[in-house]
Amino acid sequence: MRHPLSPLTYLTRNPSKVLPMGFVIVLCVFLIAAVASIANSIDLTVRTIYRYTEFFTYVIPQRSTQSVPMDQRAVVEMQPEIDRIIEGGVFFVNIKTVVGRLPFVVIGSSPEERDYLLKRIGATLAEGRMPADGKPEVVVSLPILENRGLKLGDVIAGPLDEGGIAGSPVPVKVVGVLKSDIWVAMSSRTFTDKTFLLTPKCLLLTTKVPSDLDVLNERLMPVGRKGDGLLSPEKVNVLTRSSLLAEVRDSLSSMYMIMEVVSATVIFVIALMSGMLSNIYFTQRIPEFGVLAALGVSRTRLMMKIVWETVILTVIAWAMGSVLSVFLLKYLATNVFKQRGLFLDAMDPWAYQHTLPIPIAITVFAMVTVWVRLKRLDAVSVIERR
Amino acid sequence: MLTCSDICLDYVEATRVTHALKGVTLEFPPNKLHGIMGPSGSGKSSLLYILCGLKAPTSGNVLIDGKSITKMTDAERASLRSKQFGFVFQQPFLLNYLTALENILVGVSPSVLSTATIKAESLLENLGLGGMGDKYPSMLSGGERQRVAVARALIGNPDIVFADEPTAALDKENGYKVMKALADWAVDHTVIVVTHDADMLKGADEIHHLMNGCLVDNAQPNVR
Repeated sequence: MRHPLSPLTYLTRNPSKVLPMGFVIVLCVFLIAAVASIANSIDLTVRTIYRYTEFFTYVIPQRSTQSVPMDQRAVVEMQPEIDRIIEGGVFFVNIKTVVGRLPFVVIGSSPEERDYLLKRIGATLAEGRMPADGKPEVVVSLPILENRGLKLGDVIAGPLDEGGIAGSPVPVKVVGVLKSDIWVAMSSRTFTDKTFLLTPKCLLLTTKVPSDLDVLNERLMPVGRKGDGLLSPEKVNVLTRSSLLAEVRDSLSSMYMIMEVVSATVIFVIALMSGMLSNIYFTQRIPEFGVLAALGVSRTRLMMKIVWETVILTVIAWAMGSVLSVFLLKYLATNVFKQRGLFLDAMDPWAYQHTLPIPIAITVFAMVTVWVRLKRLDAVSVIERR
Repeated sequence: MLTCSDICLDYVEATRVTHALKGVTLEFPPNKLHGIMGPSGSGKSSLLYILCGLKAPTSGNVLIDGKSITKMTDAERASLRSKQFGFVFQQPFLLNYLTALENILVGVSPSVLSTATIKAESLLENLGLGGMGDKYPSMLSGGERQRVAVARALIGNPDIVFADEPTAALDKENGYKVMKALADWAVDHTVIVVTHDADMLKGADEIHHLMNGCLVDNAQPNVR
């Protein structure tokens, strides 16, 4: 038999009192997890769309030149980690993102180079064929097609494309779909060379060991200290995963700050509100504590009873809130956000860390409230209540 | 043995001081049913709460087996109430989410729960509540609830049971049942009952009368 003062006895016998409190915690956890996940999704979106930068690095000539200067190319060639250097033209197609249309690079390469790059990122042809030499055709990975809402045979870039550097003087069709989570688009080198005459030729670098790419990038042009690297920032720019993220974070810093303030405010207000709710909840139980204190149940034992009741309730409710959040955010990520070019990680640990102040605040509020009330508790005044 | 000497209790409200108890000195020899009688406001309940350590007197001392209750810490008084005292209040104050049996066991240490459960069932039987252990307070009558409260007071085998108007909310028949249970306990323990109903103290060994905070007629013996 379980002891009558066991925390579980109270929790299981008082659903009308326990469930509303638990439900509030579940909703608070979901709210905060959702806000924090969305705040973190911009980073994830950039990391997802530009994940190809984990496999190769672009060296782009500065505006004054059409190709990477020879002295800069020589520096790159001297690096021991280098596996291949591929020179090629590029053009851009639009993709939808949470911050509007962004240009996505289409690499113009020879068939041999294309096969090498696709093998490196582990992409295989799932449907259609590879682009024919010199033809306005591209092969793209499935997520790009889904993002644009296109299908095989549709035009992905053309003269009517709006915005920035994206577009093509001739309509470019999708002739092949790649099976890969990594966003990549490829065309033939002959097509890019003859069509995009003014677009500078870039160098695309790969390393023998893929994990060496970061080391190489940092040596060539360190993020935040461009002048300290082997390459000259006046002559070339290096597009790496780290520089891309740094640029995005820099350009969206105000939005990040706003999201952080909103997130922190929500967390603080909810933690405070749920703590105050727990205060009301325990105030209603003062007569029970008064009687038990009169019967000789020590204040320490009463305190421990409340602490355990609160811990059990908040932990269960927090866990349920987290599970609910995973399911709801997964649904939203797949059915709402993905089509809008926003990637949301339903199991983002960072987001769930932000929900931890809720159970902690409730437990602390409960402990402080009960401690103060127990200290002042006059059992006689409870008993003499007629 | 429980004794109190020169107990005074003052209530201060703004500038007005009410002297609820004015130098009460009493002895409560063991194995007796002691009654404390008096009209409303005479200070009898206050005296009871001071005797059991729930209330601190303004001055005076309460001794149990030579130890001063008034000088004990909160924790020591709680331990004393839990181990040596039992309580029956005017209202049963049962926890409505616990069954009758569980209500009896609230103050019991978890280490002796199984033996206490057997004793609680036997107490329920003796108090005419056999088979009602699994009933919640809302399913019991007022008299039954108060008898559960009596069982709760007796479960720890207390040396002294304090009862504050235990029959006030009951009809005569149920009142007598409760008093009989307390009188039975007083055969080999101490029971102190506060009441304004003289009928309920017919079996008391000693009756102390209080009037305006003063003891007026000490230890009037009764024949049991």
